[in-house]
Amino acid sequence: MRSLVWIAGLIVLLSFQGHSQGKTAGKPTEVIILHVNDMHAKIDNLPKLAYLADSLRKTHLYVFLVSAGDNFTGNPVVDMVADKGYPMIDLMNRCGFTVSAFGNHEFDLGQENLNKRFQQAKFPFICCNFDATGTVLKQPKPYLVLKAGNKIHIAVLGIIELNDKGIPDTHPSKVTGIRFYNGITKAKEYSWLKKKYGILIGLTHLGVETDVKLADSMPEFDEIIGGHSHTLIEKPMMENGVMIVQDGSNLNYIGKTTLRIEDGRVTARSDEVIPITALHKADSALVELCGKYNRNEEFSKVAGIAETSFKGYDALGSLMTDALTHQLKVDFAFQNRGGIRVFSLPQGPITIKDIYQLDPFGNLVVIFRMKAEEIKSLISYAYNLEKGIDLQVSGMIYSVTSDGQGHCLGVDLFDDSAKSLDPSREYTVAMNSYIAASYRFNHADPGTTGSVTTAEILINYLKEVKKVNYTGVKRAMQIVKP
Amino acid sequence: MMNNREVLIFSGATVADAVRAYSRRSAKLLENGKFRVFDQYGNQTEADGELTEGQKLFLKKREHEDA
Repeated sequence: MRSLVWIAGLIVLLSFQGHSQGKTAGKPTEVIILHVNDMHAKIDNLPKLAYLADSLRKTHLYVFLVSAGDNFTGNPVVDMVADKGYPMIDLMNRCGFTVSAFGNHEFDLGQENLNKRFQQAKFPFICCNFDATGTVLKQPKPYLVLKAGNKIHIAVLGIIELNDKGIPDTHPSKVTGIRFYNGITKAKEYSWLKKKYGILIGLTHLGVETDVKLADSMPEFDEIIGGHSHTLIEKPMMENGVMIVQDGSNLNYIGKTTLRIEDGRVTARSDEVIPITALHKADSALVELCGKYNRNEEFSKVAGIAETSFKGYDALGSLMTDALTHQLKVDFAFQNRGGIRVFSLPQGPITIKDIYQLDPFGNLVVIFRMKAEEIKSLISYAYNLEKGIDLQVSGMIYSVTSDGQGHCLGVDLFDDSAKSLDPSREYTVAMNSYIAASYRFNHADPGTTGSVTTAEILINYLKEVKKVNYTGVKRAMQIVKP
Repeated sequence: MMNNREVLIFSGATVADAVRAYSRRSAKLLENGKFRVFDQYGNQTEADGELTEGQKLFLKKREHEDA
């Protein structure tokens, strides 16, 4: 009778533990999670990652390879080909990626392109805090359950950052119709994953500061593998019992987490950062494939010649805006400094690749009809935003009078012959769609979006003018009022 | 916040943009590799890192041994 009671008690105890706790009959199991984040289409180091992953797979039973998002945007051989983003997906497939979080730059591809890439990917993209119902974009799953054998289950939850406008940092048109929710609030709705599966990992694209807040709110996480802030966490951070890791950006580093699992729970965890420079072997087939993608002849073509080297925003911004005024036959054009993504160009040939690195975002051009006062409101907004000169310009010269604290007190606009602009006249003004969408300025005309990107316009401009020289060009000035 | 000073910066800005908004001179030193940027936890943050609202960053001179 006593033994029957004991057996009944054991059955009750086991049923409380549930199926999910993944019992491993005492012997600890080691699980390796290789993790990267913010690769930004930098394909050249993927062959080394593939070699490392394959080597580990030969010596360990359970090896997973995960990305914390922003796989795209940052390399024209991936971003600017006809099948935008495909080279990255192809290479990630060959590396054997298990799962990727959504980063804000995933959306840069556009919803239709993203769907195509999802279909080609042999791994899922996950995210718990947006709802794409009713849009072009196929709704991703919020989480993925990794299995290490029959008994160990690891739930991986995807979470994406939102900016102060409540969307990820991408062009607003790319996320049209998608409803986004606060990542931490939404993640809490999935805390049951820990109870059900025993192990919970956050695969986040929130930035390290928000990862810390997430850990404070959800001690259920065993680990948060983060991205977005491009933080190099050399020794894993421990916050509220949660291990937080992140590996810089551009595939300069690979993270390697080792989980020791007993009775379906993590009993020990560690993480190390492996600099890519420390790896000397690469997957030869992938080296060849990367070479093929890099040798895209289109990108090595010369668009024009820099007679002198370009350095700084004034020269590069003037070139970019001159392309707009010249090609679009508008009066003026503006370019924000944040959209100028290289700081210099050497003297000599300017290739198509150089231009896509200078202007990688695929922004379309938007043309407004604006009066001088409206143009002043744009310049004033941009100055206050940056607390300094932000907008580079073509077709005019302008000066901002400021109080020395970064506040704009007034704007003066002059045409090419140094005359003040006519306050009653409407001028045509071109700018990239990022400025048009994100900057708050007065404009009665809602603007008209063109069908070509600012980078394509610049390529056509250089092909036409052939040689450019912007030494000493400065069109935007500030006067600090004493 | 950059070195405990509030920096207002546009949405989608990078760490390098925040340094530029903080000080042009610092931005130059960052570009020349003489400065590095760290977060409030002491982790190095790359110049192309994306910002989140309220993020705290600190500029530090690159240590001699790294030069």
